Amino acid sequence: MPLLFDPVNYAIPGFVALIVVEMLIARTRDRQRYCPRDTLTSLLLGFGSTVSSALTAGLVFAISMWVYQFRFFTIGFAWYWFPVAFVLDDLAYYFAHRTGHRVRWFWASHVIHHSSQHYNLSTALRQTWTGFVSLSFLFRLPLFLIGFHPLMIFFCAGLNLIYQFWIHTETIGRMPRWFEAVMNTPSHHRVHHATNPRYLDRNYAGVFIVWDRLLGTFEAERDDERPRYGIVKDLGSFNLFWAAFHEWVGIAKDVWAAPDLKSRILYMIAPPGWSHDGSRDTSETIKARWEAREQRGIAWKQPTSSSSVEDRAGAPSQAA
Amino acid sequence: MSKLAIFGGSIVAVLVLALLARLLGLGGARIGSAEEARAAAEAMISGFEGGAVALGSDGRAALVHGGAADAALLKVHGARIAARHLRAPFVSAPASGGLAIDSGDARFGTVVLKGVTAL
Repeated sequence: MPLLFDPVNYAIPGFVALIVVEMLIARTRDRQRYCPRDTLTSLLLGFGSTVSSALTAGLVFAISMWVYQFRFFTIGFAWYWFPVAFVLDDLAYYFAHRTGHRVRWFWASHVIHHSSQHYNLSTALRQTWTGFVSLSFLFRLPLFLIGFHPLMIFFCAGLNLIYQFWIHTETIGRMPRWFEAVMNTPSHHRVHHATNPRYLDRNYAGVFIVWDRLLGTFEAERDDERPRYGIVKDLGSFNLFWAAFHEWVGIAKDVWAAPDLKSRILYMIAPPGWSHDGSRDTSETIKARWEAREQRGIAWKQPTSSSSVEDRAGAPSQAA
Repeated sequence: MSKLAIFGGSIVAVLVLALLARLLGLGGARIGSAEEARAAAEAMISGFEGGAVALGSDGRAALVHGGAADAALLKVHGARIAARHLRAPFVSAPASGGLAIDSGDARFGTVVLKGVTAL
């Protein structure tokens, strides 16, 4: 068994250097791409994430090894198994990430990564403190059952994380067409971080965007609709602990106040925004409201009859 | 590579990068006009249709009235605008040089509309 290392540790100097480069570019092109307090918050959240991961890594590895003993096959460490493991790990990441947006328990952990209203390389490092609590590692367990050694999978997961760093930028527009077709890119991932109704809950890919294309969750970035970053209800605060735990606090309050057992469970596992009385917005209700408004806007704009001039006088105002 | 060295190096890098962002003069934002406030409110709050705007004279905050006894309370947050959806009646009180609006959210805080005396 080879002694595999954590590649992320060796990438940290590169992360720092690229953030410096992006800051210098922001200074010349658009100073609002960075905000010192937001950057400090993102980076401290990233630091906290490495600490929490270090505290739970042993337990996650122990669980992984326990599952591995029930494997169907024994897949070795031959070089050609690494690309296979990398692709399958990325598929597992897709499902974990999709669940992270569609199930509130997982979202409570993942929301931290989306809580910045900026989209720059420091945002990439804004990572969860509660990944272990949300049990997101469960999505990799099938790979151990197949027979991939946990060391191999965690090595691939580290490479996956490093890949995802560079796509958190507005500095790069579009990559070559063939690359955009197969790989996750800054353009695709800007869509994922956007709260525009058109872009909500799209592009869950880690490295290969093909998963979204195959599974019906792909949305292309449009030149006429600039992404607006953050979460549906932005924090409006730079408090580290609030950023890390606010959704867990929300779950606790909702479960406490829920009228019945079914509602208590759904406040934990239903999509974010679900409420027992329908008083809150999920991404579906936001999209539906936006689509209705778009249709209304199109109807108002079409001068198909002599009455259209009068109609326009009462047209609703358009969203930005 | 020891974990302690990684943690130590990381925390130094975090502080240096945050300081660099400040030294480079990055950030800065203001709400430039009533139209900008209205557009931001409509973009940030699902289904919201903005009407009259009370814009702070310093461009740091605004209250955009909606069409259903509601309003969008905006504040400059770092280099971006953050919003809260309020329902009437709005809780306000005179503040130094303006009017303080309670967002109803302790983390979001109270927002002062400079130069505004009444909604």
